[in-house]
Amino acid sequence: MVSPRHIIVVICSLFPIACTTTRPPALEVPSEPASKIITPAPTTSPAVVDLLNQARAATQQGQLQRAEVLLERTVRIEPRNPTLWNYLAKLRLHQGRLQEAMGLAAKSNALSSSTDDKLKADNWRIIAHARYQQGDMAGARKAQLKADALLNK
Amino acid sequence: MQKKTRKRKTKKISKRSGRRSAVVRSKNNNGVGLHTIRWWHVLLGLFVVFAGYCVYLDFVVRDQFEGKRWALPAQVYARPLELYAGLAMRQNDLERELNMLHYRYAYPPASPGSFQRDGSNYDIVTRPFAFWDTSEPTRHIHVTFTGDVVSRVSGDNGQAVALVRFDPVLIGGIYPARKEDRILVQLKEVPQELIKVLIAVEDRKFYSHHGVDPRAIARAMLANLRAGATVQGGSTLTQQLVKNFFLSNKRTLWRKFNEVIMALLLETHYSKDEILESYINEVYLGQDGPRAIHGFGLASQFYFNKPISDLDLNQICTLVAMIRGPSYYNPDRHPKRLRARRDHILDLLVEQKIIGARLASEVKASAIKVVTNRHLATSSHPAFMELVNRQLRQFYHQEDLTSEGLKIFTTLDPLIQDDVETAVRQRTTQLDRQRHLHGDLQAAAIVASVTSGEIKALVSDANPLFAGFNRALDATRQIGSLMKPVVYLSALAEKDKYNWLTTIDDSSITLKGADGSTWSPKNYDHESHGEVPLITALSHSYNQATVRLGMQVGFPAINDTLHRLGVSRDLPAYPAMILGASEMTPMEVLQMYQTMAANGFRSPLRAIREVLGSNGQPLRHYPIQVQQAFNSNLMQVLDSGLAQVVEQGTARSLRARLAPNITVAGKTGTTDDTRDSWFAGFDAAHVVVVWMGTDDNKPTGLSGSSGALPLWGDIYKKMVPVTLAFENSDELAVHWVDLKSRLLTDAECQNAVQLAFLPGTAPTETINCTTGIRSKIENTVNWLKGLFQ
Repeated sequence: MVSPRHIIVVICSLFPIACTTTRPPALEVPSEPASKIITPAPTTSPAVVDLLNQARAATQQGQLQRAEVLLERTVRIEPRNPTLWNYLAKLRLHQGRLQEAMGLAAKSNALSSSTDDKLKADNWRIIAHARYQQGDMAGARKAQLKADALLNK
Repeated sequence: MQKKTRKRKTKKISKRSGRRSAVVRSKNNNGVGLHTIRWWHVLLGLFVVFAGYCVYLDFVVRDQFEGKRWALPAQVYARPLELYAGLAMRQNDLERELNMLHYRYAYPPASPGSFQRDGSNYDIVTRPFAFWDTSEPTRHIHVTFTGDVVSRVSGDNGQAVALVRFDPVLIGGIYPARKEDRILVQLKEVPQELIKVLIAVEDRKFYSHHGVDPRAIARAMLANLRAGATVQGGSTLTQQLVKNFFLSNKRTLWRKFNEVIMALLLETHYSKDEILESYINEVYLGQDGPRAIHGFGLASQFYFNKPISDLDLNQICTLVAMIRGPSYYNPDRHPKRLRARRDHILDLLVEQKIIGARLASEVKASAIKVVTNRHLATSSHPAFMELVNRQLRQFYHQEDLTSEGLKIFTTLDPLIQDDVETAVRQRTTQLDRQRHLHGDLQAAAIVASVTSGEIKALVSDANPLFAGFNRALDATRQIGSLMKPVVYLSALAEKDKYNWLTTIDDSSITLKGADGSTWSPKNYDHESHGEVPLITALSHSYNQATVRLGMQVGFPAINDTLHRLGVSRDLPAYPAMILGASEMTPMEVLQMYQTMAANGFRSPLRAIREVLGSNGQPLRHYPIQVQQAFNSNLMQVLDSGLAQVVEQGTARSLRARLAPNITVAGKTGTTDDTRDSWFAGFDAAHVVVVWMGTDDNKPTGLSGSSGALPLWGDIYKKMVPVTLAFENSDELAVHWVDLKSRLLTDAECQNAVQLAFLPGTAPTETINCTTGIRSKIENTVNWLKGLFQ
């Protein structure tokens, strides 16, 4: 089930603004560059921002499934907003739903503009984590390299 | 589960008590002689038996009352409407939604579930509702539209409100074979007026008696003696509840005895409010075919289409009037009887000083208006409900669905569903008449969200209210040219060999089967078109060119593409498969086209979002899932080609029905002798599949373009369009090309079409068109210059 450590990780990685003083504990993936904050684009509608705030509160209370339902509502409102798919992917990663997390991260990548390297790197890192947890070491390394390359661009 | 254990317990008890009486008998036989029994022994014995029996009754009463009192059918809801500034929505659609929710017009709206509209402005008081993630409180909001967009949502204080979620439309229930249905209400939701009227009419001394009212019984007996027949009952509400709850309908003294004892027991254990609440939920108030209407909660929905809290005095008196005999006082068959009984109740209320004489005569003057067409209103959208039921069955037993009071939140968009139903009914009627099909023309139509795979609407019969064969889910039909995109996608994936401008020979072709038989597919127009670019062969649906391409690409590649698109069945490897001789259901076709529409991200088609327990506790969430099945740029290349089917190909008749700035993509499909007519198409938000044909596979004379396509257009016209857009990026090149020269050109040139290419596959040379509008305008500018110089 979900451990307190998992919850902290989710809160910090989903909504980094809430955790500016606490560094996210390192996950067991080697050579990971420092986390970059993914924030929703300024064009995000107030309706979605409102739901994201509720989702953040839900994760802080350890209610991951409630957060999931709230994030799905954001995706229905703005289906072409890549940041929302990224959040959902990250949440599923922390729920241990690896295959789903990879699909969502890839979707976020496909929707993101060619200049949004930070978001793309974050998605590749989600894929790296998921592959690693699945035991696909070569795949994880490949994805991690893509993330690194995007961040060092 | 709970129910089963209880039944078992009850059985055990009765066995035990049986054994006990056997023991008593054996004592009588073997032990003490009759002559030694004194009268007090008999009395004591009787008392013990009576006490034992009372203990047993007490157990029965408490067990049922404290456990789950009713088997509750699952309630099935449509998606809730989420309203926010920026939402694209037709102005009238909000009013339609509110009407579906049975919100009422009020000036000004003050109580939950009321609204008023002034052109583009709505003033709404929403109803509270408990969802999985949050409980929505009631809110007073103002909504302003500008064109087809919600431009502002604000609260009562004038401040902007980010997001409002309405209560969801209830679209049905899942009933057991013995269909007892009810909507449970709590006493606090019940209007005080209803309680007063109920008590005044049925049990005046309810709050002071202990379960039985001897004076009422005496009064009733006297009245009955005088009349020489049963004209009045002396039962209290508690007795009536006991009768409905625990006892049979037989009128025997023994039952009356049980009824009295149990009523007394019920009153010792439970408060008046608990008993009253149970009564209000239990009382039988009518019949809807095999479905029994129980409780005031459901009755107010059933007869008046409103929640119990919104009933007016006239409606309250009408419902209370029906308690005596819902069939005898049936509002459709015996309106006069019912009216007389209602008026009698109003007199009683005046007599007991509950209302004034003037109000009574006012109400008497008003008619009893019950909802007509009630039966249809309760079994709407049968085809969609069946899909919900099937998807639920993966995780739930039928018994849980019919008894646990589950709340099922589905993906249905009631507005789109309503529009699709209307469109299917009208278009099939028109085409059936036109083609002299004598009512045999059938249709299926499904609408899904592109990005989430949620089913928004589903119709499976020319008469959408008819719950019969579910063609959308179960009719396997040849898909014809709907198969072609699968072939072209398989080809385009080999980017070094194929792009949209690669040519293919469309001359006639004859293929030899392994058994020596030959097959010579023909084009729809029975003509060959020579060497044509792939895009022309697809958009004009040339069979000869496509078969040739399919043979080049090979069956393994085509089958692989098909599987990745989401079709699980294996198609046999023979040439006719390339032209869609294989059979699929509309739902399978939808899954294929959803993957195409979502740029290669396949989402399982879902009809359910969440399931809540009867107390609102979260039980099961059906998550949004996306799986990347194709490179998204490759899929955009295909989609740009499918857009050409509408721009200038077999579906170009649709173009005239679309706004100029809207691009949609799709494919027509026709099978041999026009037995099946298909159109599958999508924009950025919705993917829609339409099938037409007859159940006995008769030729209809309808091609994909003349049958399914117009219906598709009818459906799409009602939706808010979200255009497809193909944008240049590092990984995708979008160009205007001239199909004749197969070179780049300008958008303004004649015969210029917009297509997407994978990097490095687009032509590099440009052809200057002289007939295009740009050169004409440029010439005009020179001419103008000349005039002034």
